[in-house]
Amino acid sequence: MAAFPKLKTNAIAQYPVARRAQFQNQTVRFVDGSEQRYRDSAGPRLEWDIQLSELDEGELAAIEEFFLASQGAFGSFSFTDPWDGQVYDNCSVAADDLAFLTVAEMRGSAKFTVVRNI
Amino acid sequence: MSQFPVQKNRRARTVVNQAADGSRIKLADPAVKVTEWVLSYADLSDAEATALLGFYAAAEGTLNGFTFLDPVGNLLAWSDQLDQADWQKDPLLSLTPGIADPRGGTQAWRLSNSGGAEQGIGQTLAAPGAYQYCLSAYVRAAAATSVGLTAGSQAAQQMATSEWTRIAWTFSGDAQATSVRFGIEIGAGGVVEVYGLQVEAQMTASGYKASTLGGVYEDAHLGDDVLTITSTDVNRHACTVKIIHANHL
Repeated sequence: MAAFPKLKTNAIAQYPVARRAQFQNQTVRFVDGSEQRYRDSAGPRLEWDIQLSELDEGELAAIEEFFLASQGAFGSFSFTDPWDGQVYDNCSVAADDLAFLTVAEMRGSAKFTVVRNI
Repeated sequence: MSQFPVQKNRRARTVVNQAADGSRIKLADPAVKVTEWVLSYADLSDAEATALLGFYAAAEGTLNGFTFLDPVGNLLAWSDQLDQADWQKDPLLSLTPGIADPRGGTQAWRLSNSGGAEQGIGQTLAAPGAYQYCLSAYVRAAAATSVGLTAGSQAAQQMATSEWTRIAWTFSGDAQATSVRFGIEIGAGGVVEVYGLQVEAQMTASGYKASTLGGVYEDAHLGDDVLTITSTDVNRHACTVKIIHANHL
């Protein structure tokens, strides 16, 4: 399985990085006021907002090539959670769009969200 | 061709069917590859602004297509995979992949010439000859060896030593040409390790950008029918130009 590209420093992400966990539960409420709850998904949906800046041309090109190889949101890859180092297989880029900004030589930036598929 | 900042957007299309339990079934649409550039120009002279306006008029806004060279990309396709079909290799040149490269990977190639004359490998780009191009590569050889960078019918000799060295050559070709062949060649019996072949439509080389698709976009279009040029002073103008390329249109 493909792996998410690391920066030259071996870092996965830069500050700030946001991490979201989303559960999908259902609640059935009975006439006596009691409730019954159950999980309605195979697991929590994890998302990471990655904002990268001050990238050199090679780092920016590596992310661009990775996005092309993944065919946007279609492809899946393994992603190392920058919070705790845990590797999650079967992750994807959340959207089919990826924007790169180059403001000067060796000063590129990119912003995207990685999602763990469930 | 452009000034900083340059914004580049890549867009794909994925059909997603989300089930009630949150799982998703995805289908890629490989035909859809949209690339968009937003070029911001500042301090343009009267002549430059007039040329831009003339180009807009010739293209009639979004109507007519043109060839666009990615200003922040490597124009060569498959720059790390010299055995791809985009590369044309001379018959007596052999290629060995998996050589240690200067960035700590193994993406370099060893080029061995077993012939009695110069042999090379190159790629023909459907790019206008009137531009200035910078061809660059990292080279290394066990013994100091002359390496030729070629563009069209011209060549420039550079030296490869036992250390990785980035060599570069700026070339301006035949203004009438609609394609240019860029390559690297080595002399009879020579063995050279090569990494990071790159062509850019500018005067000097920027950092190496590994590429698979290349940076020549034929049939690109302007993204807007309107071009607003703001004059900020005498002989100083500013504007933003959006360019779009979609391979499914």
